[in-house]
Amino acid sequence: MRLTPLLRVCLAVALGALLSACSSSTTSTATSTAPGSGGTIEIGVDLPISGADAAIGVPTQNGAVLAIEEANKNGFTGGVFKLESSLLDDAVQGVHDPAAGAQNVKTFIADSAVLAMVGPFNSNVAKSEIPLTDDAGLAQISPSNTNDGLTVGPDAKNLRTAHPDTNTYFRVCTKDSRQGGALAQFAQKLGFKKVFIIDDNETYGKGLADTFEAAYKGLGGTVLGHEHITANQQDFKALLTKVQSTAPDAVFFGGNTSTGGGLLRRQMGDVGMSATPFVGGDGISDTAEFVKEAGAMANNVYYSFAAPDADKLPSAKAFVQAYKARFNSDVGPYSAPAFAAAQIIIAAIEKAVKDDGGKMPTRADVLKNIAATNDFPTPIGKIGFDANGDTTAPMLTLKKMLAGGKTETVAQITLK
Amino acid sequence: MDLFLQQLVNGLSLGGIYALIALGYTMIYGIIELINFAHGDVYTLGTFFSLAILTLLGVTGIVTGPLLVVVVIVTMLGAMILCGLTGVVIERLAYRRLRNAPRLAPLITAIGMSFILENLMQYWHGPSPIPFPQVIPNPDVHLGAVTIATKQILVVVLAIGLMIVLRAFVYRTKLGQAMRATAQDRDAAQLMGIDINTTIALTFLIGSALAGAAGFVSGVYYGSTWFFNGFGAGLKAFTAAVLGGIGNLTGAMLGGFLIGLIEAMTTQLISDQWSNVVVFSVLVLVLIFRPSGLLGESLPAKV
Repeated sequence: MRLTPLLRVCLAVALGALLSACSSSTTSTATSTAPGSGGTIEIGVDLPISGADAAIGVPTQNGAVLAIEEANKNGFTGGVFKLESSLLDDAVQGVHDPAAGAQNVKTFIADSAVLAMVGPFNSNVAKSEIPLTDDAGLAQISPSNTNDGLTVGPDAKNLRTAHPDTNTYFRVCTKDSRQGGALAQFAQKLGFKKVFIIDDNETYGKGLADTFEAAYKGLGGTVLGHEHITANQQDFKALLTKVQSTAPDAVFFGGNTSTGGGLLRRQMGDVGMSATPFVGGDGISDTAEFVKEAGAMANNVYYSFAAPDADKLPSAKAFVQAYKARFNSDVGPYSAPAFAAAQIIIAAIEKAVKDDGGKMPTRADVLKNIAATNDFPTPIGKIGFDANGDTTAPMLTLKKMLAGGKTETVAQITLK
Repeated sequence: MDLFLQQLVNGLSLGGIYALIALGYTMIYGIIELINFAHGDVYTLGTFFSLAILTLLGVTGIVTGPLLVVVVIVTMLGAMILCGLTGVVIERLAYRRLRNAPRLAPLITAIGMSFILENLMQYWHGPSPIPFPQVIPNPDVHLGAVTIATKQILVVVLAIGLMIVLRAFVYRTKLGQAMRATAQDRDAAQLMGIDINTTIALTFLIGSALAGAAGFVSGVYYGSTWFFNGFGAGLKAFTAAVLGGIGNLTGAMLGGFLIGLIEAMTTQLISDQWSNVVVFSVLVLVLIFRPSGLLGESLPAKV
């Protein structure tokens, strides 16, 4: 029972937070914990940080962690509260898992010190999390979810049945309808007249492949076929033999490296498709993992990600330097968006604390401030959210993977 | 037509791997009527062992000439021996004491063993796919428009070759006779002076060694492995064993090749995502009309 005093403190803090949360949501005159006594405010971070997804998940998490550390260094809420991160992993057996994501969100919701969360990384995980955060009124900002159905259309409505009128889900990256459209234009520009489309049948992968297909056909391209692979598939040779027989200019893949993208590309070499280019979205932007899985075939691969290239952006220079100094590694495609997401949450919490006279803010206050975000300066530009929770400053980067794990930025597009 | 033949080659190669795993499944079921769910993971372990041996030998890329034969034989035999021993240890630790328990107990234990192996492998190499060196050079054989890779020939030849050796062992040697006797009636076999513990351990040794061979071939064939591969492959191999008639060696082989072919043809003619549906539909149909599989059930019935 050595932990008892510590536990008691934790309980007291939690209870205090809970009381203040209850009181301010019902009446504004209720008493609360003494100001200045401090306490801990947490930001939940739910990302896939193990297995094949770690290559992209960990740099993303680092972005959020860096923002939280900098906030503490810069005197978060004037030193009244201490800001901490609660880092959870939604990968099971190395691949992002919607059930694990939902469990993590439940953990955040149960912890009253968590006022908002960053994540998730993958759209199918978001689908299982949004109903929970919507029900609990916990704000979440995703650095990387691109599926359209998360914010717009009937799909989005179905995710918000508990509180259809409020939105708790935001994202700082753009949507697949934009990403798929840009990739379709890009494919046209590269001279790919006919492509074969393969996707991983997940929310993100299939959604991206479908938007790409529609946009590509709209631009006059020929789609030779559209196939779906299944989870944990090891053998793609029969499928690729079929693809090869249609003689495509390129193969488009909607999905992640971890859901088959890397192995699919590797086996293209085995069936004699080494010369055929491979085009994908941000799901294969985890180049380190892609190179590991695809081997020598990680070459002549085009991919995009739904955020600006931090290395190329003047506004992200300070961030990139701080990131390299702190983690001793290069930034990932979604490190800067995660940093921006955490920054927005931190600013919302600080404003809530200030408005409330130094008291522990409620989740509702934080949510309200996040929703009102407008022209907020971040490394990836001035960000605001529309009524659906989508960013008002969408950007897209197109890159090419070259031999030996090198990449080059082909284009950086500001979508308006 | 060329495309059909090319898919035939793809299907046979995939089927060869299933067949090698199915042989072990069917042997172990034949002797103690246990569906050894850990068998698929022993197969993945075979790839992991092969990778470790290749790393020890310092092989990271293509090997040519007589050295290639040495490397292939050393690696494969090494993986077979290590997997065989793993199988024996699993039997000794997890199954032997449950031999007379209700049948559900060893079944659940087998699933538990499967999880243990998967997690050990995850601990060993992490949970993401790992590259496997391209040992065998690729002078493809061209028959008209059909391309056959050396690796594909290796898979098929190995699967058929090992099946023939295994059949000869089971039907022509004293130890094989002991295995068949144990499968038929354990108590009677014991009364006749057969050491059934040794015989069952031997069955696990051989069955798991075959999985080890399959693991090596799979690593070479796909150029990568993942700790979770055994789950899917094991399920398909088990299906192959049931399809051919569980306990029947030739049946396991036939089932393996058949499933590989069905998968490849479904992908070509319908769609990749339907291949599992078609495989299991065929299984259901076969079991409805021939409940004991295509070639009939279990060793004892054939003695």
